[in-house]
Amino acid sequence: MKPAGLIAAAALAFSMVTVAPAAAEDITLEFTVWNYSLDTIQDNARKFETENPGIKVKITDYTWPDYHDSLVLRFRGNTPTDVAYVGQDWLPAWAAAGFLAPLDDVAPADVLDGLKKDIAGFSLSDMTYKEKLYGLPYYADTISFIYNKKVLEDAGLAVPKTWEEVMAAAEKLKAGGMEHPIVYEFDQELPNFFDAFVSQVYGRGGDLFDKDQKAIFDNPENAAYKQLQWLTEAFKKDLVQQETHESKIIPSMNTGKHAFTIVFNYVLAALNNAAEQPLAGQFALAPMPGETHAALGFTKFYAVTAQAAKDPARAEAAWKFVNFMAGKPYTVAKRWAVEKGLGFGQVPLFDDPDVQAAWNKWVDSAVLKQQVATAHGGVWTEWTSVWTAYFRPLLAQAMVGEASVDQVMKAGAQRWNELREKMRK
Amino acid sequence: MWMTSRFPALWLLPTLLLVATFTLFPIGHALWTSLHQVMLLFPEQEWVGLANYRAVVTGEYFGVALKNSLLFTLWAAPLVVVIGTATGLFLHRRFPGAAILRSIVLLPWVLPGAISAVLWTWVFHPSWGVINTLLRKLGLIDRSIPWLSDPELAFVSVVTAHIWTQLPFTIVLVMAALSTLNREVLEAAEIDGASAGQRFAHIVLPHIKAILVVLLIYNALTAFTTYDIVYAMTGGGPGTATTLLSFQIWKESFSMYDFGAGASVAFIVVAISALLIIAITKAMPSDLFTDS
Repeated sequence: MKPAGLIAAAALAFSMVTVAPAAAEDITLEFTVWNYSLDTIQDNARKFETENPGIKVKITDYTWPDYHDSLVLRFRGNTPTDVAYVGQDWLPAWAAAGFLAPLDDVAPADVLDGLKKDIAGFSLSDMTYKEKLYGLPYYADTISFIYNKKVLEDAGLAVPKTWEEVMAAAEKLKAGGMEHPIVYEFDQELPNFFDAFVSQVYGRGGDLFDKDQKAIFDNPENAAYKQLQWLTEAFKKDLVQQETHESKIIPSMNTGKHAFTIVFNYVLAALNNAAEQPLAGQFALAPMPGETHAALGFTKFYAVTAQAAKDPARAEAAWKFVNFMAGKPYTVAKRWAVEKGLGFGQVPLFDDPDVQAAWNKWVDSAVLKQQVATAHGGVWTEWTSVWTAYFRPLLAQAMVGEASVDQVMKAGAQRWNELREKMRK
Repeated sequence: MWMTSRFPALWLLPTLLLVATFTLFPIGHALWTSLHQVMLLFPEQEWVGLANYRAVVTGEYFGVALKNSLLFTLWAAPLVVVIGTATGLFLHRRFPGAAILRSIVLLPWVLPGAISAVLWTWVFHPSWGVINTLLRKLGLIDRSIPWLSDPELAFVSVVTAHIWTQLPFTIVLVMAALSTLNREVLEAAEIDGASAGQRFAHIVLPHIKAILVVLLIYNALTAFTTYDIVYAMTGGGPGTATTLLSFQIWKESFSMYDFGAGASVAFIVVAISALLIIAITKAMPSDLFTDS
């Protein structure tokens, strides 16, 4: 062979060696989560990898309090991120900022339509921005009113149906020697702090905003105004013990020294976990006190990032992963529900015998179903999370007596309306 | 040699480049950010001049955050120096178990601020925190003290936790200064009949006064810019009770997505810190750092 032919053959062989593996190269999806039950997340990802050769999933976890800021930094810094847990309250801002891609851009329309039909109304609304769906539910639930059955029975108290009845029951319990009948999750930097308040307002049958998304809660007749007055009074009467996190509410309620709390439903599952809690079985869910007994429904979901959507192969892999985690036959969603007590947005799971059997161990599923049916979603706009960051300390100020309810509600409403005007321009 | 003396700046260039990359560029970028609208919600980064500064200063939280930061500094910095000096003096003495005690005292130093904060959150817990449990066992209280949920007590609690985290560094430096003191001078003074107070005032204090001033400045700056303890213990609350300026930088930037406003607060913090340093050094005798 002539030298030129040798060089050509060598070049061909080299290109085969270098190009062929690249064509068969695995896609590694960067998946960000908050670190709730990381083992289960990892196990689900490994199962996905087994079913989908050629796609790997690299999980990066953050603590829940750090998650939002960490993700904003990742997105702003263009750190590779393909699929992420997203909260309903962050969606408008993140979608408007171009961090996330609508599922319509990455998923087959017929598959997506089939999934949408199964998703609960509030959950679908939580994951929709400008009429486009941005995710599939990882966890959808309500913030509910929980009480200790034994404490109420021993004190001869009925389950309260209104906030006035809750106050009366708490005062009676306090008079009987219970120092703080109510345990309240009080971390003004956590979104839960505002969400729990909204859930209480919904229980009264009210809302914070009108149909044009204008703030109306500075009106003393508004349910939110009344509920903040109620909370302020409860704090003033020293009926409330603050806990900085739900994980501390579980041991607190299990001391038997408290009667009421307002938490995510999975906390009830933890409270009634006989393997870990001494007073398991004593706790129950009651419809949110108030005239309508409605509650806030919310959804945390899997979303595909705009970065991933730009690359067709990556977008396809990301969609496959999201569909595996939250799509039919809802195996992963069911696993979360059965093993961890996590709520779901996929309505057919309510009729699943395994889910029913598992849930009846810690909750009266009929009462829960009723609460879910009356739940509705929050008002999530581009400016909601910015505004809640401003408003949460104000709420806290009123609760601990640093400011009046009127001051807080007026300042909060003014700020909301300013942001609304600014965004509309 | 010829090159070094002829072109000294050339030899400094690598270092200067590193300093510029990791110090000057971030500062310059932060200044640029503070003069522009840099918000997650509004992609256009328009020049706004001093509008961010105006908005921050006239906002709901700046006044209270400034007041809290100054109060925090005024309490924490002198207390760290006084307690640290007293502890340093005590540990400098020779007694059985001194070495073990010196090691134990340094423990807070090895803990990250956030871990210390979590630890103190448990210490101050109303139901099962160490402090309330102890007070209850001693019969001093019959109701839980809400250390972190009462605005005034929360401030005291956060200051206490901060002091605890800062003590080891102060103790180490005080002990280092004391180790250079000639013990024979102290023994001679004792033989001459000088009391402990006199020995401290006339021999020890003049010997360590320079390091004490350095520690005061350092602790004032640390207290004024502290963030992790507050973030993890109270989140600036309850209400605004423990909202500090440094916390407000994070809040504006990462909670309200307004990086321009956050950078403005950061520059205000830098300006006030500089004023603090000038004020403290001006208040000191001019011969402080010279050998007497």
